[in-house]
Amino acid sequence: MEIKKLLFVTKFEELGFDALRSLLNLRKSALEHVVFVNVIERDRVAMRRGKGYQKDEEIRLREAANIRFIDWAENLFEQGMEVGCYIVVGGLVPEVIKATQKEDADLIVIGRSHKGVLEHLYSGSDVTELLHRAWTPVLVYKHLSETAISVKEPFVRPLVAIDWSPGSLRAVEYIKALKNVVQEVSLVHVAIEKDLKETSSAMSIQKIRKQARNKLEEICDRFEAAGIKARAHVYIGDAKEEIEKAAKDFEATLIVLGSSSKTSWVERWLGSTPRKIAEESIYPTLIVPPAKSEE
Amino acid sequence: MSKKVLVVDDDPDVRLFSVTVLEENGYTPLEAEDGESGLKMIKEEKPDLVILDVLMPRQSGVRLYRELKTAKALKDVKVIILSGIAKKTFLRSQKALTEFGGAEIPEPEIYLEKPVEPDELAEVIKSVLG
Repeated sequence: MEIKKLLFVTKFEELGFDALRSLLNLRKSALEHVVFVNVIERDRVAMRRGKGYQKDEEIRLREAANIRFIDWAENLFEQGMEVGCYIVVGGLVPEVIKATQKEDADLIVIGRSHKGVLEHLYSGSDVTELLHRAWTPVLVYKHLSETAISVKEPFVRPLVAIDWSPGSLRAVEYIKALKNVVQEVSLVHVAIEKDLKETSSAMSIQKIRKQARNKLEEICDRFEAAGIKARAHVYIGDAKEEIEKAAKDFEATLIVLGSSSKTSWVERWLGSTPRKIAEESIYPTLIVPPAKSEE
Repeated sequence: MSKKVLVVDDDPDVRLFSVTVLEENGYTPLEAEDGESGLKMIKEEKPDLVILDVLMPRQSGVRLYRELKTAKALKDVKVIILSGIAKKTFLRSQKALTEFGGAEIPEPEIYLEKPVEPDELAEVIKSVLG
């Protein structure tokens, strides 16, 4: 599960070349190919009364993106990297999925949601939709956001939130493959209060903590065997809040979570912890879906 | 029999432009939309000349050119690069790949930076194919 090829999805205002540059230390692991994706959403060039299809506007937008990508690509080519690019008119999520499949990419990098408040209310965000549909890990990068922390190299100190789901266990393998990039991993399990309510004594709460801790230590050992320093931590409370607290406590540069079921409509519309963190957290967030066969 | 020229470019407008120039000058044009299908077509069709873009999906012109020039059976296929990527960058990228352990490869016959005029392209094709 190495990251050899990443898809860098941008509209330029939210993710620029500096964001991409901060990911280039992945070359110390396996990264060799970057594919730029710019989707011109149909609304921007759609038919208007009295104007027809705005072909001129499409050409203008395409060329603006093309010029930017050529500039970025030149920088990467000169470093011996492989570079590709897609500039397409269509819906953001379907086009990103299409490009991911065509390229067989190992990671999708995208900025925080592209939709406005009203569109959010009606159809959910692009990020939510992408997390729902992608079988490839997605890094939601909040590089130029004023409400995000500034990170030089996001993969240096990841916090991996473990809930023992297939997605979170796959996330462990994904991070473990980044041996030369990751310096230290914080493994965090949040025991949610709902589960603890069924137990009344301090002893039984401690027992739950101990069990979780032991399981986390096993994963720590796997990281250490791969040459990556790893520490286990158990928190109690609301999953989203506690994961954010833990990220702050251990100065994490990235939150990594496994995504849950792709088939659940409830999750899709009400939002799961990974989706909430991806949308709202101040940290860059990597969401790793389960393997197709585990769904 | 007219000579076969393969145009490898992801931009359909550029392909149409090149194909029109080729047809008007009596060549047989072939088309591929990315480096991967371009390489496949080169192996199958054995064109006399390849007009190659650099920045493309799936496989870039940098890698395709390298594969061509290092394959015994294909290294004599003539190549014109037609790209928005600067020639200096292309050469530096080849140099970087050589430094990373790849083979040293020759420069392309002709390097044209986009955009080009139809007459200029026609003339260059003629000079390369003789």
